[in-house]
Amino acid sequence: MAEFIVKVQDLHKSYGGREVVKGISFDVKKGETFGILGPNGAGKTTTLEMIETLRPIDKGTVTVDGVNVAHQSQRIRYMIGVQTQSTAFMDKVKLTELLEQQAAAYGERIDPMELLKQVNLESQASNYIENLSGGQKQRFSIAAALVHKPKVFFLDEPTTGLDPQARHRLWELIKKVRAQGMTVILTTHYMEEAEALCERVAIMDEGEIVALDSPKNLVRQLLDRGFKKERHVEQADLEDVFLDLTGKRLGN
Amino acid sequence: MSGRIFLIIIVLILAGRIVLKRTPVGRNLKAARKTKSNQQPMSPTQKQIYTVLTFAKISILRYFRDRVAIFFTILFPLIFLVVFGSFSKSNDVSFHIGLVNQSQSQFSQKFVADTKSNKMFKIDKEVNDLTTAKAKMSRSEIDATVVLPPSFGEIEAGHPTGQAVIYYDQNNVSAAQTLQSVLQGQFEGINSKLVSTKAPFTVISRSTNTQGLSKLDYTVSGLIGFSIIGLGIFGPVNYFPLMKRQGVLRRLHITPLRVWQFFVASVLSNAVIGLFSIAIMIAVASSPLFHFKIIGNYFELAAFIAFGILTIFGIGLAIGGWAKNENQAAPLANIIVFPMLFLSGTFFPRFAMPEWLQHVTTFLPLTPIIDGIRMISTEGKHLTDIGPQIGLTALWAVIIYAIAFRVFRWE
Repeated sequence: MAEFIVKVQDLHKSYGGREVVKGISFDVKKGETFGILGPNGAGKTTTLEMIETLRPIDKGTVTVDGVNVAHQSQRIRYMIGVQTQSTAFMDKVKLTELLEQQAAAYGERIDPMELLKQVNLESQASNYIENLSGGQKQRFSIAAALVHKPKVFFLDEPTTGLDPQARHRLWELIKKVRAQGMTVILTTHYMEEAEALCERVAIMDEGEIVALDSPKNLVRQLLDRGFKKERHVEQADLEDVFLDLTGKRLGN
Repeated sequence: MSGRIFLIIIVLILAGRIVLKRTPVGRNLKAARKTKSNQQPMSPTQKQIYTVLTFAKISILRYFRDRVAIFFTILFPLIFLVVFGSFSKSNDVSFHIGLVNQSQSQFSQKFVADTKSNKMFKIDKEVNDLTTAKAKMSRSEIDATVVLPPSFGEIEAGHPTGQAVIYYDQNNVSAAQTLQSVLQGQFEGINSKLVSTKAPFTVISRSTNTQGLSKLDYTVSGLIGFSIIGLGIFGPVNYFPLMKRQGVLRRLHITPLRVWQFFVASVLSNAVIGLFSIAIMIAVASSPLFHFKIIGNYFELAAFIAFGILTIFGIGLAIGGWAKNENQAAPLANIIVFPMLFLSGTFFPRFAMPEWLQHVTTFLPLTPIIDGIRMISTEGKHLTDIGPQIGLTALWAVIIYAIAFRVFRWE
């Protein structure tokens, strides 16, 4: 019997008369990785922001571990960790200091080095954020989002703009986080990312959820409806070639 | 004397930093502090204090790594101090005058030489005739022109006589009058040597020898005000919208960090940085270069300056906290800052203003701060003596922070 940690019911949001989230409902199981897929403008980010207490909810209810987001936003903030789309931090501050500050926001004192080790950035400890590469920044901002050991971890398009290697590294990291028992909710518009990471995905389009199931089931349902891909599928594609040629040091 | 004290404080701070960071003793001390506090869980109040102090600490560290910020907050006011300080150094009034000597007499030559050696006058060397003199007066390059007519210094009844003529234009009536009375005095001295008469009534002036306020005293307190504005308003007005645009504040918005904690941490770091840069400025002003002297109590002065920083920083916090981007913040900041910059006594002492303007500008937020700083530092007043200044500053602080809390947004 799966336990649901996030429950979303009939969630609505409008901006200036235009409804961008049109009454969606879904539940996320404890410990699973849940993906929200969809094209740009589908309402993914808005949905996430409402769950994260960043945007007022127009209509509907959201609970995280039984706590109502609209009524007890402060309690929710202790329970969730959020990786925002922007990876910007204050400049001229060392990574260790940034983590110290991020933890202080939760009133906690942490060992920044331990956290940096988890994301393979201990060698950059005394560096400033502005000197890191894109992938390193992404990994660092994951570390920053996890300083307080949240129950639910939200990632908004975590791999947008990363090269394939950095993307694969980030996937490994997300799997590692999940293995620690955290529930992960992410948005993406890369299908292979959803396939690689998510147990279940909700596909959103124009503010509505048009499908919700495991990636495997969704594909099977499509095939059951008589769908046939026109192009012959190769056993490998260009990305595999790229990774094979350059990805030997993957994970280092 | 006071300069030395400040220099000693600064050296001590720097030395302390080096000891804590670079020596084994310092590192051990730090480690010990860490483990000790890790063993005991913090109470909710301790946690809140820890949050505020950590944020303040990191933003202070950040400041000292930012060369541009250091330039604008420490070096920039110092440049102003040097410029304004050298203006206000000479206390004697001097006139720029033209001197046209049309006479050939021996007496007139001697008179010209005497006038040239008089420190009250600066004689324009280019002026040789009345035409150039008039042109220069119309451009206000000289205040007035003294003409010695051809008959000046002719011997009559056994001694030289003559009448000097002062030319002036309508812009310089008062300068001409002063000049006339100065020359009158000079002539009276000569007259009394030529004809021995005893004047029934005379007047002389004597210095009371008490320390009055010099121009520099106004300059320094004004520049401290300028420093407070630069750091307290222009800093956050630029930085906050930038942090919003980059999403840095949004990341904090997701955390349970409260707006008041963020505010208190910002005020704290701003006060530390402000006191540091003002201490440097006072140290330079007290150096033999400028001879600025603090008569009042240092702690009272520091406390009052910190209070002023708190109040003015609130304005920056309100504008920067409200604005969505830099374009929104800059014009508003300028509208608010410029009246204070010119009318609160930063660059021009308020007593030189027309009376109605003095009344209006009394109530600008920066005015009581600058007045209070001057009263403590150079008049030796105590905090208990400057009740009106503290009261007005406090009133502004309440108003400003009420607005700042209301309009603040994280993104």
